[in-house]
Amino acid sequence: MITIVDYGMGNLGSVVNMFRRVEAECEVTCEPARIASASRILLPGVGAFDAAMKRIDAAGIRQVLDDKALHQRVPVLGICLGMQLLTRGSEEGQRPGLGWIPADTRRFTAVRGLKIPHMGWNVAERTRPCPLTERLDGEIRFYYVHSYFVLTDDPRDTVLRTRYGVDFAAAVQRDNIMGAQFHPEKSHRFGMQLLRNFAELPC
Amino acid sequence: MRLNPDISRAGVRICIRCIYDERVPSISFDAEGVCNYCRQVERLTAQYGTGAPEGEAHLAQIIEGIRAQGLGRRYDCVIGVSGGTDSSFLVHWAVEQGLRPLAVHYDNTWNTAIATQNIRKVLAGAGVELHTHVVHNKEVDDIFRSFFLAGVAEIEAATDLGYAYTLRRAAAKYGISAILEGHSFVAEGITPLGRNYFDGKYIQSIHQRFGTRPLRTYPLMTFSRFLKSAIVDRPKFIRPLWYLHYSKEEAQDFLRRRYGWQYYGGHHLENRMTAFYHGFYMPQKFGGDLRNNTLAARVRNGSMDRASAWAEYNSPPTVERQLLDYFLKRLGISATEFDRVMKEPPRHWSDYPTYKRRFERLRPLFAVLAKADLVPMSFYLKYCFPANAPE
Amino acid sequence: MLRIRAIPALQVREGCLVKTVRFKRFAYVGDPCNTMRIFNELEVDELLVLDISQDRAKRGPDLRLIADLADECFMPLGYGGGVLTLDDARAIFAIGIEKVVINTAAVARPGLIGEIATVYGSQAVIVSIDVKRGPLGAQTVRSGNGCRRTGLDPVAWAKEAAQLGAGEILLTSIDREGTWQGFDLDLVRRVSDAVTVPVIAHGGAGSLQDIGDAVTKGGASAVALGSMVVFQKQGLGVLVNFPEASALRRVLP
Repeated sequence: MITIVDYGMGNLGSVVNMFRRVEAECEVTCEPARIASASRILLPGVGAFDAAMKRIDAAGIRQVLDDKALHQRVPVLGICLGMQLLTRGSEEGQRPGLGWIPADTRRFTAVRGLKIPHMGWNVAERTRPCPLTERLDGEIRFYYVHSYFVLTDDPRDTVLRTRYGVDFAAAVQRDNIMGAQFHPEKSHRFGMQLLRNFAELPC
Repeated sequence: MRLNPDISRAGVRICIRCIYDERVPSISFDAEGVCNYCRQVERLTAQYGTGAPEGEAHLAQIIEGIRAQGLGRRYDCVIGVSGGTDSSFLVHWAVEQGLRPLAVHYDNTWNTAIATQNIRKVLAGAGVELHTHVVHNKEVDDIFRSFFLAGVAEIEAATDLGYAYTLRRAAAKYGISAILEGHSFVAEGITPLGRNYFDGKYIQSIHQRFGTRPLRTYPLMTFSRFLKSAIVDRPKFIRPLWYLHYSKEEAQDFLRRRYGWQYYGGHHLENRMTAFYHGFYMPQKFGGDLRNNTLAARVRNGSMDRASAWAEYNSPPTVERQLLDYFLKRLGISATEFDRVMKEPPRHWSDYPTYKRRFERLRPLFAVLAKADLVPMSFYLKYCFPANAPE
Repeated sequence: MLRIRAIPALQVREGCLVKTVRFKRFAYVGDPCNTMRIFNELEVDELLVLDISQDRAKRGPDLRLIADLADECFMPLGYGGGVLTLDDARAIFAIGIEKVVINTAAVARPGLIGEIATVYGSQAVIVSIDVKRGPLGAQTVRSGNGCRRTGLDPVAWAKEAAQLGAGEILLTSIDREGTWQGFDLDLVRRVSDAVTVPVIAHGGAGSLQDIGDAVTKGGASAVALGSMVVFQKQGLGVLVNFPEASALRRVLP
């Protein structure tokens, strides 16, 4: 069972849909009690960094999330903005992030005609094996829409790398904390395999 | 209803040659314990010289006739394609024989990608052009819903008939005199009449009773249209696989290698309604399981042993979980209404107005038409003789 | 790096998938959800669905259909047809659609572009520009499914739309649509040269070569395919398909 945290930002319908398609059970909730009993957590997110952190605090779930992620160490997957929230902070905002992964979120700079946001399909390169990225064969592609990107302090925390002007972390994993910058729910079979992998992680 | 998968403990009488058991409609067993369906296949094999030099010679003659009649026209024959093994193989075979087929597809808007891809690959590889008749999706769904609400087994009746009529209409439109069909009684058996009844009046009467929108794009073959096609347009129905040696397994292997064709598994994944019908509808509402058609045929032609076929027949069918959701969504039926209708006692095709009596009364006419290949012989054998009453 | 995109553009009319020629007569193609499933399985990178039902502008977007489509779609989807207000856009995004395509409403009230872009980002707004050649040879913008003459020049309108916040321009040649004759490369070039946002060339694709030309000669950032993805070939039967990735790579940079 995957507990999808609904703090009011991000289209969850598509994510739920994809989990259903890969036959993984999921629930959508914002109740601290439900999150407390979660065995796997998905943190979605579309929109602005500060707005998201503010909502998480306002929903009163910050403590239980920290507990699940850092003490109980259940598998956690942040997608899109959700992955950026895992970092210490973002150039987009003032508020600190969750800080579950030693990393920063930076803004793409529009050098040499680079269009921002980074929008469209792009190729990801596996930097090291990881259960999250298993069974992704051939050329690995995902769909991206973002203006900010993540750079991990420790290169080993980056498991998939993509280039858009700069090399950035397409997916991260540090112990039980994982993230995907792209939209798995819009990346057909690649996204499906990733979410399936997450759903099948032992917990 | 599933029985003991161990054939020696089945508890019903089973043909000693295939796996049809006493529950199969219109079945009978002779003194040797062989069923009438096996005997029918024997008779047809002898009659058509299937896989033997006489059969091939006869077929070669027919092909020559088709070629001659088609001279000067863009196409000389029509082949109905579905993306499945038989029709895909037939397209390849026809082109090898020097024929110039027009592939015709009846699209009921429930196709899967595998079917469309298979059609595309085989036709592209063989250099064959395609004509498709697409029925308005909402009409299709209205008909399906009507049949579901009517409680009968033949939820696909309109597809089968629409397909047959589309072939006839395409032949008439392009001035083509021959329709090649990929049916093989050796590979598939002749479907007993108890299942899969379809005619224009049956569809019309159920739709009139339970349907909500007029049929504008659905090709309804009424009796008069049927006769007009058979007697005035006169396309001939040829079933090459009734003459040739044909093995589904060999064909699949060949198609895969040659065209990149893909087998969709035994679960009818070429069309979602067909998959739903076999995986959900028949087993759950009618306790019916049509897998024995193909399994019995495989036993008869030696590609499977009897015990394994019986075991497979009596194992649970695999179903795609989302299939039911898709069915409910397309037809606009709620889960509650679905359960209610599924629990209602099954109805039989004879509960509704059909052309059956008329077909029986006109048996002499259809005998003549069948001999002349103007209606399929299997139609004559199934429809023009009285069927056993339902249990 | 990013690939050039080839995007199936599907037309819906009263809940049924159709294909028009020059915005006029149409042929039935199939069921929108079922076809969406097929494109999923064919793994296309993104899709556009344009609802061309009559009076769609009066009735607003068909949210029920959009929800059904979103259920089936595991790639980015852009929807157009009857999007008149920011609220319409909001409802559509809430369902899980990535981009809205606005045409008639943008011509009537260009401010709408900025309204949606400000809240959802430019990348979520595609302004669709339909162009037709008049009797004296001048190409002007048409709205209302090609029925209304706006008198606007396509290049000028595209520039204005981009300035107001459009993330992409869907540029359709009404004269070429459904004809398999190739894109109107001159039109594509003139608009692509005038704006910095991506231009999606639409209307006339008949071959892989046409797709390549739209990019290499027309300067388009992406191409939208209509007839090519729903028919076996010109004049032949309906058969949903999509060019293989390897074939596209051969013609696209």
